[in-house]
Amino acid sequence: MKRFRLPVLVTTVVVGLIALAGLPGRETAHGARPYEGTTIRAVVNAEYVKYSLSLVEKDLYDNLGIKLETEVIPIDAFVAKTLLEFNSGSSPWDLIMFGPSNMPDYGRHFEPLDPWIEKLKLEFQLDDIVDVFRKVMLRYNGKLVSMPYDGDIHIMYWNKVAFERPDNQKKFKAKYGYDLRPPKTWKQWDDAAEFFHGWGWDGSANKLFGAGASYKPSGSGYSYHWWRQRFFAYGGQYFDGNMKPLINAAAGLRALEEMVRTMPYYPPGVLLFESEEPKTLLVKGEVPLLYSWTSTGKRVGNPAESVIVGKAGFGIVPGAEIDGKVVHRPAITPGRGMAVSKYSKKKEATMKVLEFISLPDQSLKIVMDAKTIMDPWRLSHLRAERFRKAFPDADKYLDAIEASFPFLVPDPVIPAADEYQRKLSFEITEALAKRKSPKDALDTAAREWDKVTERRGLEKQKAFWGEKLHEMKQLGIEYRPDWAAKAK
Amino acid sequence: MSTVATTTALVSTRRLNRHRVQRWLAGLLTYLSLALALVFFLGPFFWVVTTSLKGNEDFFAYPPVWVPSEPSLAHYARLFTHASGGRYFTNSLVISSLSMLAALVVSLPTAYSIARWRFGGGFLSTLLLVLRMLPAIALIIPIYLMYKLLGLTNNYLGLVALYTVVYIPFAVWLLVGFLRDFPVEIEEAALIDGCSRLRALIRVVIPIIAPGLAVVALFAFIATWNEFLFAVVLTGIETKTMMVLVTSFTSGGTDMFYGEASASVVLGVLPAFAVAFFLQRYLVKGLALGGTKG
Repeated sequence: MKRFRLPVLVTTVVVGLIALAGLPGRETAHGARPYEGTTIRAVVNAEYVKYSLSLVEKDLYDNLGIKLETEVIPIDAFVAKTLLEFNSGSSPWDLIMFGPSNMPDYGRHFEPLDPWIEKLKLEFQLDDIVDVFRKVMLRYNGKLVSMPYDGDIHIMYWNKVAFERPDNQKKFKAKYGYDLRPPKTWKQWDDAAEFFHGWGWDGSANKLFGAGASYKPSGSGYSYHWWRQRFFAYGGQYFDGNMKPLINAAAGLRALEEMVRTMPYYPPGVLLFESEEPKTLLVKGEVPLLYSWTSTGKRVGNPAESVIVGKAGFGIVPGAEIDGKVVHRPAITPGRGMAVSKYSKKKEATMKVLEFISLPDQSLKIVMDAKTIMDPWRLSHLRAERFRKAFPDADKYLDAIEASFPFLVPDPVIPAADEYQRKLSFEITEALAKRKSPKDALDTAAREWDKVTERRGLEKQKAFWGEKLHEMKQLGIEYRPDWAAKAK
Repeated sequence: MSTVATTTALVSTRRLNRHRVQRWLAGLLTYLSLALALVFFLGPFFWVVTTSLKGNEDFFAYPPVWVPSEPSLAHYARLFTHASGGRYFTNSLVISSLSMLAALVVSLPTAYSIARWRFGGGFLSTLLLVLRMLPAIALIIPIYLMYKLLGLTNNYLGLVALYTVVYIPFAVWLLVGFLRDFPVEIEEAALIDGCSRLRALIRVVIPIIAPGLAVVALFAFIATWNEFLFAVVLTGIETKTMMVLVTSFTSGGTDMFYGEASASVVLGVLPAFAVAFFLQRYLVKGLALGGTKG
């Protein structure tokens, strides 16, 4: 027995030491990186979205051991290509970025989140999500299937120099009979655009422009986004309950006629402008007014390119005065969501990724970065001290975003939403280019909408629209045929 | 008499001078027009090239920064380190080169048989033309479904095969023109001297119609390098091409990535430019040669 004593002792000591050294190490590896070696494939629609994900990639790996491999499909081909993959019954991606207005087309390919929330005890902190996004962007057939990624909405920006110069104020009052101030209504907006156009409102000898806009009909349609905020303020609605388009009714016509009439006060080339051109004009001090995506605010506050740092005002997009009260209808334009593919073979890990990138502190990094065009979508984003002090007047910028939330109007979130928007946007730009009268353009768009509805099936579309109509009603958005005539 | 001679000489000198001035003016106008055309066509590209070398602060500078004082390759570096630029560039190079080679290998014998023996009796060449007439957008969904079934999506082979098929009609028609221009007597002399048909083709015909092959190669390379629709639909993350990357930077707003977007455009045109430069001595000759018959 004695001869075994030494080897047994040595073996026991060695095994003990290995166990002591190894156990904590293993625990750390499992505790900190429980999915070590897993790679999740994401698909997004632009390089800047890929960049935004890269901001959280390191923390994601450090915490979960998961690596992200992100594929970029250019924006104009994104919907067609991703739906082609999904509709063929598979997808090479685990995590999908999508436009919430296309939820009816994508939703059936997404994995419902609730069972996984229960199974993995996921913390999506839904109460911290801005009410309107939570209500209209996250569900398919009543099931929670996605999380917001980009809280795209429009707010108004103005150059304070233009509005606060005493000389400008005097001239404006003499011409229009009321005080020069950041516009609250479309009438005031149009007056200001007319007033400022063509001269050096900043005190220079430069010929500056009246206002900025994006009137190109590409993507889901820039000109459509610019039109619909007037359209809804004048009481418009996309369809009636039977899917008859209402876009060519009085509200739509008035909105488009005003846009056509004020075209001379916008920069040359505005018909070709996408999102970035008017933002650049604003930050270079060449337009005094712009309503645009909230990401514009981060460029406004960036001294490397902006000459209006600390000189910019932020507010809600103008509306229409109805019976003495201003009705604002800023747009959700259109936002981005993230979801887990139901064809993914790594659903659990992907759910953890979705949870991680949606965490308040991680998503804050994404929406704060000036190089992403991702916008705040959590209440905690708007109240984060770090964000509120990120640049001069960042607090006012975030307050303007929060003030807009109760009035937001979503896209027509029904199947073929993208197609409806493209057709309408094309016709709006046709009218702006004076190739068609506003009435012709909107009538044509309405006929095109009818064709899309017919192709997709009237009853099916009606069912989807019925739900959305109800949701919009809950948000206080209803068809008001009488507003177009009485709006001031 | 001498007065008349002097006057005549003076008139001749004046005419000569006027003629010289007219020629000089015409030359000046020609060069000015060419310079203007160059500025018009190359100006935007010049701007893209300089933007790719600028710092972020210079994108919006006023007055505009035409040439950056401290050019930097940082945007190119970012393209390779952050945007999978290296992978997509290599993919494009591999796919375009293989498609170019495959198009040459398949279309040369086809064109040869059509030119020498009217193979297919006129039907084959017409059929090939019909293939060329089909717009890519009409084919994309059936091709996608077929590829998905065969496991050819996100695969070099799938894209190379497709590009080869798509490019063959053009290549065959172009080469038929070159081969019909080629004097058949030279080939017959080689056959009399003991060459086989294949050997005559390789040793005699190909060296002489090399400019034509260069044109086909160049056009095939550029066409496949610049192709977008099939590339975006049939590729995945491993096989994406440079044109898809360029478009993902430049469509839907570049936001703050102007530098990377410009760098991707420059890299996107560089290889096609390099191949054209390399083949240019054959090119002019080749274009003229193939144009005499068609």
